[in-house]
Amino acid sequence: MSAPLLAVENVGMKFGGFIALQGVTTEFRPGRVTSIIGPNGAGKSTFFNVLSGVLSPSTGTVRFKGDDLKGTRQHEFVHRGIARSYQITNIFPDLSVHENVRVAAQAGRSRYNIWTNRKKFDELDARADKALESVGLIAKRNETAKFLAHGQQRALEIAIALISDPELLLLDEPTAGMGPEETKEMVALLEKLAAERTILLVEHKMKMILGLSDRILVLHHGQLIADGTPHEIQTDPEVRRVYLGQNHGYA
Amino acid sequence: MNVPSVAAPLAADARKPARLKAMMTTYRVPLSILALCILPWLLPSKALAVNVLIYGVVCVGYNLLFGYTGLLSFGHAAFFGAGAYITGIAIGQFGVSWYLAVLMGVTGGAVLAFIIGGMSTRTRGIYFSMVTLALAQLVYYVALQASTWTGGENGLRGFTVNRINLFGFDINFLDPVNKYYVLMVFAAAALWLVSRILNSPFGAAIEAIRENERRARTCGYDVERTKLLAFTLSGTICALGGTMSALHLAFVPLESLHYLTSGMIVMMTLLGGASSFFGPFIGALVFLLMEDVFSLWTSHWQIIVGSIFVLFVLFLPKGIWGTFLSRVVR
Amino acid sequence: MDTELILMQLFSGVALGAILVITALGLSIIFGMMGVVNFAHGALFMVGAYAGLWVASLTGSFWWGLLVAPIMIGVFGMLIEFVLIRRLYGRSIDDPLLLTFGLSYVLVEGVRIVFGSDGIPFPTPSLLTGVVDLGVGFFPIYRIFVVALVFAIVVLLWLGLEKTKFGLIVRAGSRDPMMMRVLGVDISKVWLAVFGLGVGLAALGGVLAGPMRSVNPEMGALVLAEAFVVTVIGGLGSLVGAIIAGLLVGVVISMTALFAPEMATIVMFALMAIVLLIRPQGLFGKLA
Repeated sequence: MSAPLLAVENVGMKFGGFIALQGVTTEFRPGRVTSIIGPNGAGKSTFFNVLSGVLSPSTGTVRFKGDDLKGTRQHEFVHRGIARSYQITNIFPDLSVHENVRVAAQAGRSRYNIWTNRKKFDELDARADKALESVGLIAKRNETAKFLAHGQQRALEIAIALISDPELLLLDEPTAGMGPEETKEMVALLEKLAAERTILLVEHKMKMILGLSDRILVLHHGQLIADGTPHEIQTDPEVRRVYLGQNHGYA
Repeated sequence: MNVPSVAAPLAADARKPARLKAMMTTYRVPLSILALCILPWLLPSKALAVNVLIYGVVCVGYNLLFGYTGLLSFGHAAFFGAGAYITGIAIGQFGVSWYLAVLMGVTGGAVLAFIIGGMSTRTRGIYFSMVTLALAQLVYYVALQASTWTGGENGLRGFTVNRINLFGFDINFLDPVNKYYVLMVFAAAALWLVSRILNSPFGAAIEAIRENERRARTCGYDVERTKLLAFTLSGTICALGGTMSALHLAFVPLESLHYLTSGMIVMMTLLGGASSFFGPFIGALVFLLMEDVFSLWTSHWQIIVGSIFVLFVLFLPKGIWGTFLSRVVR
Repeated sequence: MDTELILMQLFSGVALGAILVITALGLSIIFGMMGVVNFAHGALFMVGAYAGLWVASLTGSFWWGLLVAPIMIGVFGMLIEFVLIRRLYGRSIDDPLLLTFGLSYVLVEGVRIVFGSDGIPFPTPSLLTGVVDLGVGFFPIYRIFVVALVFAIVVLLWLGLEKTKFGLIVRAGSRDPMMMRVLGVDISKVWLAVFGLGVGLAALGGVLAGPMRSVNPEMGALVLAEAFVVTVIGGLGSLVGAIIAGLLVGVVISMTALFAPEMATIVMFALMAIVLLIRPQGLFGKLA
């Protein structure tokens, strides 16, 4: 049995009087695709923000490969091997597609280098192009990012997260705003990525999740109410109760 | 060796200006120097040309922070003034040779920029602008009070540089043409340095911060530290402009440190075109030319320039060069 | 040290602080509601002072100046918002600051053209000249009036913000026009009113400051820097912060002037620097 990549112990998050997360304890092992679902306001985004360093948990610990992440500054998360993408597209609008990914690649080292012409860093160029190939954007390499179609921008989101070669990839609603065709393409991409990395996914599209995930976590009112395989979740009475009457787009 | 381009084919008529622009970018430093060489012969006076050099350098330095990193500082006069005062004091009070004085001025400006930058980059957004203004005003009032060093309200005098020994040549600095070309060496150095910075990995980092600070952070950039470095570099170059001004005028007016001077730098940069390489120099040229011409008609030329600036903010925010670039390419 | 002297200086600081409060409040209200930093605030303060002087010389009465000038300049402010600032909606947050900066150039030079570059004395109204003996010392009546009036206005403002629907909208500080329209609010009218109010407050500060300092085209520049300092110390967008910081700064300047007059302005900026180092968001501000 492989050691946990990410261990979450009794994590809670409080905003003033509002409790967003409560007593969440779980583990993530390498090489799986785990989806996190729950009704709106369940705390999924908050949980993601805690795992990616945007928020520091009010209580509890998060350990990545055994190290407590407390006190780690946000920009260091990616250097440790945790990368994330955003629900609302968060790219560099006026840079080209290639530059978008390249600037992300560069953040590893040489980021304070004010002297060398960056065209000399062939290796970074190659890595950027490789990432673009793996998300299918290589043809749009020189286009300005803000002119891309929505689905392509979402793919660019993922490429930016991928470029740091993370062990753990946190994807916040990668198919947000996408129609059925684009969603299918994204799912194919995610399946390809899952072969090499550990993926944590927040999503609303149930059919997609059921097909893609090895494991599903269900959050409700900030608490973890279910944790299991897609089949186990589908038959879990608590989950059915929470989702009963709500049409979550069984697309 | 570059990775071969796999760009989607551009329309034939769009390719030419894009290629021209790419060429202009690659050769921006030699092109600028060429333009600066012939500039004094195109303008009505040599003194105006020298001013364009000085404020062009200041704006190019400022634009590193404003146009490329996206931070609107209203306090850069502090570095310009610091460079000028330190150079003047070094020559006047301590008899230091001119090039050492310039070095001291630039270093002093760099240190000041590091300090003010360190304090102001802790703030975000519009707050940043207010803080830079206020901190620079602090420097102004300190200079006002330290009148034994700075001459207070009357400014700093008594440090004329008559002859300059540059690369072994003994030059009469008081001759306007000589003065221009000596200072042009400074300007060329500044332009070359800024170009190098913009081409470096750091150059990509600051643009990323301008485009999307939050994203840059999660890509792994220490945003605060990067901003501080940009701020310091920017202030250092402004300080170089200040030393040039001191050498030129043999006088440092107290107004050099006032936020109205900071504002003037902002105006020039925006007028020419922020986030473009040639823009700041063009902005300095246009602004100073307007001042020269309008002040012949009326002593109230500022109202004309102010109105023009307002119109630019409303309708031509990319500035003269920036608008030209965006119309011609793409 | 003479107790009477200290108390008088303290009070002088409160009077100075009152002017700062009213000016900084105007700045804060505009920022809080519209996200706009009005760089022309100092210039409008100055224009207010000139307007007050002009009305007073026309009517022969300071009181008309005090009443009419802020309203006049407030309306002028609404015009500025409607014609200029409104066009910048949706653009970079720096643009309104740049525009109002350019505007301040135009306003200052405009005043120079109309009124000349020299300072003009602003006579204290006859009713308020002189000093009054309050037992602990002789205090200038005019300054007592200034403090009292500013206090009254702050109370009025507070009531307006707390009790009226308009006040609720301003306090909510929402800059999302879609959101506001959904709630049935015409955001463009709110912006107009808020900008006019903020500018009117600055103009009022200018009229009040007139008799305390002479009136000249440059008086706005220092006030702008002071207003920025007060806002940074108090916290951007915080009205309580503007009040407390304004009084604090006024007192600090005044008390420093007692011991080392030339250091007074420097100490004000140094205070801001200290606050910046310890608590960058200001005393009552929120971290961005």
